[in-house]
Amino acid sequence: MSEENWIEVGSIDSIEEEDLIRFDHQDKTFCVYRLTDGFYATDGICTHEAVHLEDGLVMDDEIECPMHQGIFNIKSGEALSPPACEDLKTYPVKVDNDKIFIKID
Amino acid sequence: MKNNIIILGGGQAGIYAAREIRQNDTESNIKILGEENLLPYERPPLSKDFLLDKKNEEDLYFHSSDILKNENIDFENILINKVDFEHKKLFSKNEDVYTYDTLLISTGSDNKRLSLNNNLNDDVYYLRNLEEAKIIKEKVSDKNKITIIGGGFIGLEIASSLSQLQKKVTVIEIGNQLMGRIIPKQIADLVQKTHLENGNKIILNKQIDKITKKNGIYEILLSDNSLIQTDFIIAGIGSTPSVKLFENTNLKLDNGIVTNQFCETSIKDVYAAGDVCNFYHPFYERNMRLESYQHAQNHGICAGKNIAGVKTEYNSIPWMWSDQFNLNLQLTGICDDYDEIIERGNDINNGVIYFFLKNKKIRGACGVGIVGKVGRDIRITSKLTEKNTIIDKQILLDQNQKLNKLIQK
Ligand SMILES: Cc1cc2nc3c(=O)[nH]c(=O)nc-3n(C[C@H](O)[C@H](O)[C@H](O)COP(=O)(O)OP(=O)(O)OC[C@H]3O[C@@H](n4cnc5c(N)ncnc54)[C@H](O)[C@@H]3O)c2cc1C
Repeated sequence: MSEENWIEVGSIDSIEEEDLIRFDHQDKTFCVYRLTDGFYATDGICTHEAVHLEDGLVMDDEIECPMHQGIFNIKSGEALSPPACEDLKTYPVKVDNDKIFIKID
Repeated sequence: MKNNIIILGGGQAGIYAAREIRQNDTESNIKILGEENLLPYERPPLSKDFLLDKKNEEDLYFHSSDILKNENIDFENILINKVDFEHKKLFSKNEDVYTYDTLLISTGSDNKRLSLNNNLNDDVYYLRNLEEAKIIKEKVSDKNKITIIGGGFIGLEIASSLSQLQKKVTVIEIGNQLMGRIIPKQIADLVQKTHLENGNKIILNKQIDKITKKNGIYEILLSDNSLIQTDFIIAGIGSTPSVKLFENTNLKLDNGIVTNQFCETSIKDVYAAGDVCNFYHPFYERNMRLESYQHAQNHGICAGKNIAGVKTEYNSIPWMWSDQFNLNLQLTGICDDYDEIIERGNDINNGVIYFFLKNKKIRGACGVGIVGKVGRDIRITSKLTEKNTIIDKQILLDQNQKLNKLIQK
């Protein structure tokens, strides 16, 4: 994969710990999280119904959908609790000079 | 020990119980008996995305037949119409006999029906299962004016879906607000406003006096002598626990099957879970009956654990949702036992939540907003309710302050 795939999201200060921000790029939307051990990224839309996860609750390593409480593991994308049953796609994240980048394929 | 475990009722609580039993007990026979000729499926989309063609039948099943096969869970399509608790037997109409060591009853609920004085009872449609959803979907396709009798969740969700299908919808509600059984009036009024803005007509405080049919058109006469003409009638006037089968037995009934916090009924080796139960909730120190997705799932899982010998108390804080137009409404805990109400937010675009407190502790909350806007706060509220601690009201009523602060250890 080429370097160009790393897209800048913003500075690390733009996300509070145990929280997330929404990041839109071209016609896609993502969630970028700050957990106690680093930064992570997933698709922004719940796999159950078309609702954005930006308004969801981040607890430990999990994101919970604000609409029907489907729960996903942020690091692996695994759907942990129904009604969600399809996993959430995850993306690599790196921090460089206090800036967050995600790798979109 | 190898047991014969029978689950009567193949819905949400039943399937979750079955899988939980299997997690803890690899030996016993597990058989689900279900009246519907379908594997257990989700009902919430029936009034919403299924009517709107956004979800198909295949999208509704909780689990595939492969999963049931792999976990050695048997599903049989049969209607049970007699029980003999003394001899631990169930009977079908054709006198097929099913003998159990342990029984879980998860028969769900039945829709209440109108009783009209003429022969129009079959002209009124109801929604509880996939079969009925298919019929409604097909029948309304060439109709224009639809009347919904009953302004509860299911009626309003159907009203929202049919309005999105360009139908002219009228909702008739006997009470002085929508969703009056459990939703605070302030929230109900916000939902009503959205229905009106989308062109639905809402009639409150009116009873149906008579329905007649002329040339294929129905005329509904209301208690104030006003007349509504309509092409199609759907009623959503509430539901009752499915307990008819047990009425002349020793099973203790009182607004459903009475269960303790371990999903045990008054009869040994007979458990119950889901909509059909009036269960004891240790946290609220009272009995309650819930009709909700989350409850059916968690109560089924809890029953499954107890049946498999893992003694587990059911203490889940209630939670339910309803989706109408672009709104998502959510309720957690109980909202009928409080000494103080606190309002958070006043704009539906950012979400509006009412918290119900007693002795300065949260008992429950109800909120509504554009999809996504109340879920996080309602979820945090469930956790705060469970924590049972005195709450800083200033944070609750100020939408600029995150509720996360209140749960941080
Ligand atoms: C249209 C609709 C929309 C809903 N929307 C929402 C929502 O948005 N949010 C929410 O939280 N909840 C919603 N609910 C509620 C939720 O779906 C129910 O609470 C849940 O399905 C209850 O699960 P259960 O297993 O107790 O019963 P059910 O899922 O009803 O299953 C009971 C099963 O037992 C079978 N049965 C009954 N008697 C017999 C017998 N004698 N022999 C054999 N089988 C029998 C029935 O046929 C049925 O299949 C909705 C319900 C409906 C009907």
